[in-house]
Parts: sequence; C-alpha cells; structure tokens
Amino acid sequence: MVDEFTQTLLGIMVGVIMLGLGASLTPRDFFLALKRPQGLIIGVVSQYGIMPFLGFLFVTFLVVPETIALGILLMACMPGGTTSNVFTYFSKGNLALSLLMTVTSTATGIIMVPLILVIYAATLNIEIPREEIIKVLAVLLVPVLLGMTIRKLNANVGAVMEFCGSMLGAFFIVFIAVTWVPQNWQFLLGTSGATYVAAIGLGVVGITLGYFFARALSLHPRNARTVALETGIQNGPLAIAIVVFTFPAEQQQAIMAVPALYSLFIVITSTMVTFIFRRANTAAEQKMPDSLL
Amino acid sequence: MADTAKPWTAFYGDNVRADIGGGSYRNLPDLVRSVADTYGKAKAFTAVLPNGMNGTLTFKQVDEMSDALAVYLREVAGLSAGDRVAVQMPNCLGFPVAAFAIFKAGCVLVNVNPLYTTEEMAKQFEDAEPHALIIIDLFADKIPGATKGHPIPNVIVTRVAEFFPAAPRGIVGLIQKYWDRSVQPIEVAHTRLLAAIAAGRAHIKSDKIEVDKYAQEVTLDDLAVLQYTGGTTGVAKGAMLTHGNLILNMEQAMELLGRDIVKGEETIMTALPLYHIFAFTVNMLAFYWLGARNILIPSPRPLSNLKRAFENYKITWMSGVNTLFNGLTNEVWFQDTPPKHMKFAGAGGMALQSAVAERWKEIAGCEVVQGYGLTETSPVLTFEPLGNARPGTIGIPVPSTEVACFSDDGEILPQGETGEIAARGPQIMKGYWKKPEETSKVMNGEWFLTGDIGVMDEDGYFRIVDRKKDMVVVSGFNVYPNEVEDCLAKHEDVIEVAVIGVPDGATGEAVKAFVVAAKDSGLNKDAVRNYCKEHLTAYKVPKQVEFRDELPKSNVGKILRKDLRAEELAKIAAE
Repeated sequence: MVDEFTQTLLGIMVGVIMLGLGASLTPRDFFLALKRPQGLIIGVVSQYGIMPFLGFLFVTFLVVPETIALGILLMACMPGGTTSNVFTYFSKGNLALSLLMTVTSTATGIIMVPLILVIYAATLNIEIPREEIIKVLAVLLVPVLLGMTIRKLNANVGAVMEFCGSMLGAFFIVFIAVTWVPQNWQFLLGTSGATYVAAIGLGVVGITLGYFFARALSLHPRNARTVALETGIQNGPLAIAIVVFTFPAEQQQAIMAVPALYSLFIVITSTMVTFIFRRANTAAEQKMPDSLL
Repeated sequence: MADTAKPWTAFYGDNVRADIGGGSYRNLPDLVRSVADTYGKAKAFTAVLPNGMNGTLTFKQVDEMSDALAVYLREVAGLSAGDRVAVQMPNCLGFPVAAFAIFKAGCVLVNVNPLYTTEEMAKQFEDAEPHALIIIDLFADKIPGATKGHPIPNVIVTRVAEFFPAAPRGIVGLIQKYWDRSVQPIEVAHTRLLAAIAAGRAHIKSDKIEVDKYAQEVTLDDLAVLQYTGGTTGVAKGAMLTHGNLILNMEQAMELLGRDIVKGEETIMTALPLYHIFAFTVNMLAFYWLGARNILIPSPRPLSNLKRAFENYKITWMSGVNTLFNGLTNEVWFQDTPPKHMKFAGAGGMALQSAVAERWKEIAGCEVVQGYGLTETSPVLTFEPLGNARPGTIGIPVPSTEVACFSDDGEILPQGETGEIAARGPQIMKGYWKKPEETSKVMNGEWFLTGDIGVMDEDGYFRIVDRKKDMVVVSGFNVYPNEVEDCLAKHEDVIEVAVIGVPDGATGEAVKAFVVAAKDSGLNKDAVRNYCKEHLTAYKVPKQVEFRDELPKSNVGKILRKDLRAEELAKIAAE
C-alpha cells in the first residue's frame, strides 16, 4: 500500500517533526514543570482521559468496520500534536503551557498510549500490536530528547529546528492531501459517513470537552483555550507513522483512514476555533513593553 | 565655593579612591579603541531573544564595524563634527555599533525612546535637529509623520536580529514580516545598517581613511550625547552630556562598585533600555570598559523573556529598577532556578523598596544596592556601598562628587537639615541644549539642583524626603503632569484636568488623572485612557482616572495638585 520510499520519507518527516517538538523546550523547562505539576496533570488527564474515552464512545455507537474502529481508537489515544502550538499562538493562548503539554504527553505517551489502547481494545475486543507500538514510540522519543538537548546547547540551532519542525508539520498535511487522498480516492468515496463523523468529531468534540473541563477546574480563559486546543489536536503524523510501521500492509488503508482524514479536518476545525477564541479575547496583543516594565 | 565636608568617604572601603582624577581616556573613541585592543576576540555584546535565539559581536567586531559606520556618516552621509545623530532602537546589537560610530565620527548622539509616539518624536527631532537617524525597522513607519516639515536627510535602518547567524535572522525576519506583521514597509528613503557599514568599509579601503582623525580634536569637554528629559514645564530638554561626563561617571560608579568585578570575566544582563541614561552609562559604557560580556534583552516584557538569557548565560551582574527586581522575584521560574553566579545587582531610576531588596537577597543570594542620579548627572551621583547598604537611603556620593542639601536661599545646609539635594562633580551636564534660561534655573554656580528634597545623616548617607517638582516617576521613567494634562485638555469632553503621581505597588508611582467632564458627555475611564494612548507613550497614560465635579484651586485659580495628593495619601492611610 505504502511503498518503501514513501515509508522512509514518512519516517524522516515524523522524526524531524519530533525533533522540532523536543527543541521547543530545554530540559530545565521540563524539570521546572515537574516541580509544579498541576498544569501537567490537567494536561495528561484531558489528553489521555477525555480523548480516548471519546474515541471509545465513537467506536461503540457508530457502526464501523473493525479496521476503521482501530484507526479511531489509535487516533484518540495519541499525544498532543505540534500544530496545537501554532493554533494556541493564534488563539492568544498560553504558548508556554501548550509546548509543555505537548512535550509531556509525548514523553508520557510511551507508557500511556499502549496502556490505554490495551484497555479500550480489550473492552472492544480489538487486537493491537502492543509491542510494535511501544517500539515506534520509544524510537520517536529519541529525537524529542535530542531536540531538548540541542535547544539547551545551542539556542540558535534549537530554535531553527523548532521552526523547521512546525513548518514540516504543516507540510505533512499538504503531503497527505496530495499523495494519500488521490491514491485512496475510491476508498474514501466508498467509506461510510460514520468514518467522517468520527474523523471530524474527535477534533470538534475534543476541543469542546477540553475547554469545559478546563473551565470547570476554574483555569483562566487563556489557559482553558490552550487546554482545549491541546486536547482536541492530536499528533496525526505520529498516528500515521504507527500505522505504517506496525500494521500489515493489507490493513493499512482502512486503519489509516481516520488518522489521515483527522489530520486534514483538524486544520479546518482548529482554524474555526481560533477565530472564535480570538473574538473572545479582545485584549490587544503587545509587541513591545509599554513602559520599562 | 569651598569644599564641603565628605563624611561618606569613611565608608568607601579599601582600595576606593576618594578622588579619581581626570579620566583615563582622551575621549569616548579612545576608550572604545583601547578596550577593543585589549579584549579583541572576546565576546562583547550578545542580543538574546525570548526564544533564546542570539547573535554576538566581539570587541574587535564592534570596533571595526563602528569604524566603518563612522566613515559612512562622514564620507557618504556627509556629516560634520558636532552634527546630531538620533538613535532610536531597543536593546540590540546595532545599538553599540551605532553609538560608538557616532562618537568616532565626532558627532553627537541623541537617544530617542523607541516607544515614542509620532508626536513625541517630532518634538524631539524639532529641538535636536538631527542630520541622521539610525532606527529599528519596527518603528520606521513613524518616520514620515515625525519628520514632517523638518526632514532628516539620512535614515539608516537596523533590525532586532541584526548580526545574528543567517538562519535565525531569516526566521525572525519572516516572522516579523508575515506572522506578527510588526515590521511595516518603510516609506522614506533609507539605507540598511549593513549596507552603510559595507559602504564605510569600501571607503576606508579605497580612500585610505584614518577613522581616528575625525575625533582627533574632540576633548573631554566636548558634547557627546543629547539626553532628553522632561521638565517641570513639560517641555522636553536635551541634557548636554560631554565625553568627560560619561567617561568620568562610569569610572566614578565603578570605583565604588567595582570591588568584586574581575576585568574581562563578567557577564552582565542589560534588560533596561540602553536609551535610558542609567543603562547607557553603567551597562553599555562601564561594562564594555571592564571587558564584560553584555547580554542585551530587546524586550523585557513579559519577564519570561529573560528566562532563556538567565538559563543560557552565567549572569554575574545586572542592573534594573525596583519594578524589575520585584517582578523577577515573583516569577516562579526565577524562584526555582535563580542565577547562581550573580555577584550583586544595581538598582536605579526609582526608589528600591526594602521589601524587594530583602526578597531579592533571599532568592538570588546576592545583594541589590541602589543608586541615585538624574539624566543631567550622567546619571550616577550616589550609590549604596557594597556591604554597607542602608535600607531607605540612596547611599553615599560616588568618588569625586560632592552632594549637599541646599536651603531655598541657595545656601548649603548643615548635616541633618532637610533641603534640596544639589551636586557638583565631573558628571554634571554642560547645560540644556539651546535652553540657557532652563539651565540657569537648575544651576547654582557649579552646583546642579536636583529638585529632590533630601537630608544627609551623620555618616554622609542621603535620604530622599520628597520631590520638589511635581514629576511622577513610573518605573524609572519621568512623567511630567503638565504634559499629560495638556494632552487631556485637548479632549473635547474634558473641562478640567489635574494629574498627580500616586503610590503604586508595581511601578513605584502611577499617573492619576482627575477629570472634570462636560455634562452628559458620557466620558468614561476607558475613553480617557484610550485618548491618552493615542497621543502619549504608554507609561505616561494615567493608570487611574477619577471624575470630579470640580478641582481644588488656589485663590488665583491655579489647580492645586498638592491638595489632590494630600487627599490621595489620606485615603491610602485610611485603608
């Protein structure tokens, strides 16, 4: 289904995206955050509590084949995506919190993703290649740690990597749109509406629930917007990479459907959410200090 | 006038001379050159952006580039000795290059606050009549409005990431242009700083120009900087600071504070803007002189912008205002990982609150000592001596400086009596630019009258009691009530207005406006503040606005600010 060249390219792209994600922080940021973990706990709960459960509900109540169900569940269990940081910036959210949540959910993902996948898959009687997924997650943790170290050692190189990672994250979506979509056109026309409901619903409902969850904990609206985007925006490229590297070729097309569609639709969803959030936040943004301090 | 008693010299500590003599250099270009010869390839200036991106210039590079820019100013732009060159930029690598080039060209630097509105810029340009302007691209869109009717013939444009490595520079450029759109197209004819430097270099090569000849005749007594400050009348005045004022003031300050400073080994953080005289003299000149590496922060707000700089560099010294130290000690990341290598910190610009000084010592593990001075005094007059700080005082006069309290009749008062603080020494300005009457108001012979009311204790420590002028100091920036009142008075719904300073936990003092609004105009607080924002720099905008039916007045109809102040203080006391 996916040829070797595309597979290698995919691997490199996801690696660079993860490198860029790691380079958005230094080890000190990470350890500072662990010292006061309230924000991180909220992030991990919304990431690995709300989203997988949402995925579980979709699988339970929508009538979809098992391969599609597996795609929904996989997508729902992913850590936060790097594009959440871009949308947080445009929504005038808390960029530092967003970066921290993304990195934390990625770092804890090596344990949380397989754990939650196994629990829900067992409940739903779906089989998943657990060890393979752990392996991919472990391998992708290396560029994250490398990125963090580089950011510490040379801020210029680190910041450039972060920038390239975000750019590549955006390019990845274009890449999916121009390569995967035309190749799978027939499949996409033939697949049920339920698949689209899940692919779009994960983002829309995830962002909504994330927002109300954060507000219920009386977080500042700015942080609530951040948690909302962080919750709803999953790491699409990572899900696609896992599908390509862990599932047999003949299953890939169907399992990949939701991750690929999700990756495309989340851009539209997040853009609309950004407009809503921006309107909510009328405070003018400061370019420069308006006095000495 | 006879010498005054100097009881403070007893607290100078070992190895501090009471008189530092006549200065170690012929002029500022001489200082720049000889320091560069000593420290050569060591890192002199590093600009650090909030995300950690940075660019560095060595002593040699700053020296060479300022040579080239000086040649550009003289040979290409056609400037002559004594011509004014305005510099308008936040802390960035272009600043020291521009400043040193102006000195080397024998010209006069005019510091302009980059946050000034078009109107404020226009006023300053009209007065200083600069022949060239070196400005950051972020604010270059204000040039057409600010130079209407009195064009500045040469405009040189720099940018925040100037002299950064290509990749980060490119990214910052892209982000500023397309992402946050902070850089607007520039409508006036201009030259890029890099192009100006390249042109200067070409001239040096082709015409065998010796840069040193431009400033050969410049003495310590010649004008180096026009540093603008408001006045009680609200009219901005340019304090004329000479090469000698600046060189001697940096030597005076460091004679007293230099105890733990090791030449060539310090790393200092410059979060205060360099266009402010405190950072200009102490951070830029004094620490360059000492061979320190200067970490320049283009924008210290929000304070998290300083995080990467603290993380990536071993900061050993920093200067700031009370607001900065207070803010930092309240930042979680700063509390969790305070700088480990800090020797001490210097505060100026506004009163350092003792609670802040204590908390700083507790968290950062080093002392913060405060100094006192004015734009007119280059600026340092007094500093708390290290190890002998006395909370609530502004310390003791720096070497070669006399400070005394004067009576209203212009006589020196005995120790313990309260009067207007006056000072004399080599750091006192030459006078106000083109304003001899204003100069005569503040000079009593060689003594400069500060307008602050203070008292000296038996050891020679000074304490400020009150301010004679009505000036409000917001985070170290002077706000003159007249200027704010003039602005508000132009609002069609404002009948009367009075502006005073009120105590403020965050900024020391805050501007408060009392407004009598036209009946049924529906004028509200936000409208008043927004109107001020259109016409004034942000720090001048009243933080508090109170509407009144009438304002207290004297029998000749003069609005009594002092009554309003008394009411405010009574209100605070009652709380």
